[in-house]
Amino acid sequence: MTSYAIEVKNLRKEFEIKKRNGFFKRNKKKEVFIAVDDISFQVKKGEIFGFLGPNGAGKTTTIKMISTLLRPTSGTAIINGINCVERPMEVLKILGTVLTGERSIYWKLTGRENLEYFAAMNGITGRKAQVKIDYLLTRFNLDKRADETVEKYSTGMKQRVALAKALIADPEILILDEPTSGLDPQSALNLRELILEIKEEGRTILLTTHYMEEADQLSDRIAIIDHGKIIAMDTPCNLKKGLNKTNIIVLELKDWNSSTEERIKGIPMVENITSRFDDIAQRWEVKIHMVNGNDSINDLITNIISTNNKIINFRVEEPTLEDVFISLTGKSLRE
Amino acid sequence: MSILIPIFSVVKKEWRIMLRYPSWFISFIIWPIIFPFGYIFTAKALSGMESSSLAQFQSIAGTTDYVTYMLIGTTIWMWNNTMLWSFGSSLRMEQMRGTLESNWLCPIPKISILFGYSVSQLLMSLIYISLSVLEFMIFYDFKFVGSPLLALLILLVSVPSVYGLGFIFASLVLWVKEANSMVFLVRGIISIFCGISYPLAVLPSWMKPISKFIPMTHSVNALRAVISTGATMDDISGEMLFLIISGIILMLLGLLAFFYTQRKAKTLGSLGHY
Repeated sequence: MTSYAIEVKNLRKEFEIKKRNGFFKRNKKKEVFIAVDDISFQVKKGEIFGFLGPNGAGKTTTIKMISTLLRPTSGTAIINGINCVERPMEVLKILGTVLTGERSIYWKLTGRENLEYFAAMNGITGRKAQVKIDYLLTRFNLDKRADETVEKYSTGMKQRVALAKALIADPEILILDEPTSGLDPQSALNLRELILEIKEEGRTILLTTHYMEEADQLSDRIAIIDHGKIIAMDTPCNLKKGLNKTNIIVLELKDWNSSTEERIKGIPMVENITSRFDDIAQRWEVKIHMVNGNDSINDLITNIISTNNKIINFRVEEPTLEDVFISLTGKSLRE
Repeated sequence: MSILIPIFSVVKKEWRIMLRYPSWFISFIIWPIIFPFGYIFTAKALSGMESSSLAQFQSIAGTTDYVTYMLIGTTIWMWNNTMLWSFGSSLRMEQMRGTLESNWLCPIPKISILFGYSVSQLLMSLIYISLSVLEFMIFYDFKFVGSPLLALLILLVSVPSVYGLGFIFASLVLWVKEANSMVFLVRGIISIFCGISYPLAVLPSWMKPISKFIPMTHSVNALRAVISTGATMDDISGEMLFLIISGIILMLLGLLAFFYTQRKAKTLGSLGHY
């Protein structure tokens, strides 16, 4: 019996792109977009495995292939020793999946009716279904509004119904695609606590997210994915440790432009620079990765002051997964 | 797990959702009464106020009772119309709701979802047709000259053709992602070629062979023969045989269309596309 819940080997997905010229003409030359590019990874039983990457990196395509919704161009995905392409029905019996977005449940049905429907579609009916539904409604704090139609629920409640739906058949493995996307901070926090509780029950969880804090907080191991390729895979702690020679310097500046950026890039030891404008504070936040940065901080400050720029704040931060991503790709997760 | 469980679950779910839109039932009651009016008044105008031109109609339609003639044609048309809008567009509707992938994630044969929709729509159509007959009796003085049971049998024998077409349609709509134009096209063809409001004898010669290949033509002809002129099983055996054979062929084509579309959608990743 395999010790891995999920084994993905050389998985690849290509999509044909149809481009149009004007109203009717279609380019005859076929272009291929590689959404997932020959990725391999294993998820151990009982762990939370995070798939971290920006939008369009290939996270959802990967989990759709694992959950049998999409046929891979090549490679294999094995769930508890069962091939997803060859025996999809058996795979679906041990998988619970929550896809991104709040429309994966019926808004015109009540929370209870949704669970009744998906219980029956998983072969659970009668008294057994009722007991399970009552338990899940109570556990996910939906019991008081279980008989109202879902359209009246908040986004957080809809997401909890979707999670309850995925757990209705008591699956060994749970796949969650951007589970906290679109939730307010409190609802996101509550859902993350629920996910950790579900893990404590011994279930394996494959989670995709583009929120680094979420990946950091929940995952035992993380694969960072960009442009369809896995570019790093380890525990969050080890990924961050890999940057221990890099200092993360954050400057808050009045102005920021490309010529200043070029000037800073010229300082030895500067590895990556990312910047964003804070609309509320009306200032630029510039994050600079420097190898052995303590030796070059003077150079950095001198260069910025020489451009007549005003430094509003200055701090040195501990590396985060965002910094790991920047270090690997030279860009921010938000870009 | 028995395939009957997902089929019954889809039926229950669809009826629950339908009952959340009560205004739908008002049109369900009113539509059978008002829809045939246009055709009946047109026929009345053409036959003359004193029915002086009815002899011509009788010579090609086999009856002078143009009201019953229109009622049968429009009811069959409406059955197909609602089938195309509800059952034929069911997978696309799930896709637009965002729930198609959730259903595809269930460990069931996916065809059971479509079977569930067909049973749900068939129940709705049975209620619609029963209600229509009742209202026709009250408002149009509708009478069965022949056997009502034989008329029911014709409807039942027509079911595989109607829903075979629905299976093909549901799969195609999932493919092209646009139900409206497809419904207009198919119901337009039924309306013109199946003699919904006129005898097929008035069709140009090139259209007549086409109309004979459409199962609905035979359903309408057989129902008119039984209800208006009291035809027996022997009289309509040709129509019945055609309906049985075309039903088997259309159901097989429908299943093939569904499995092909399912495979294609899994390759293209289009199950979740809006």
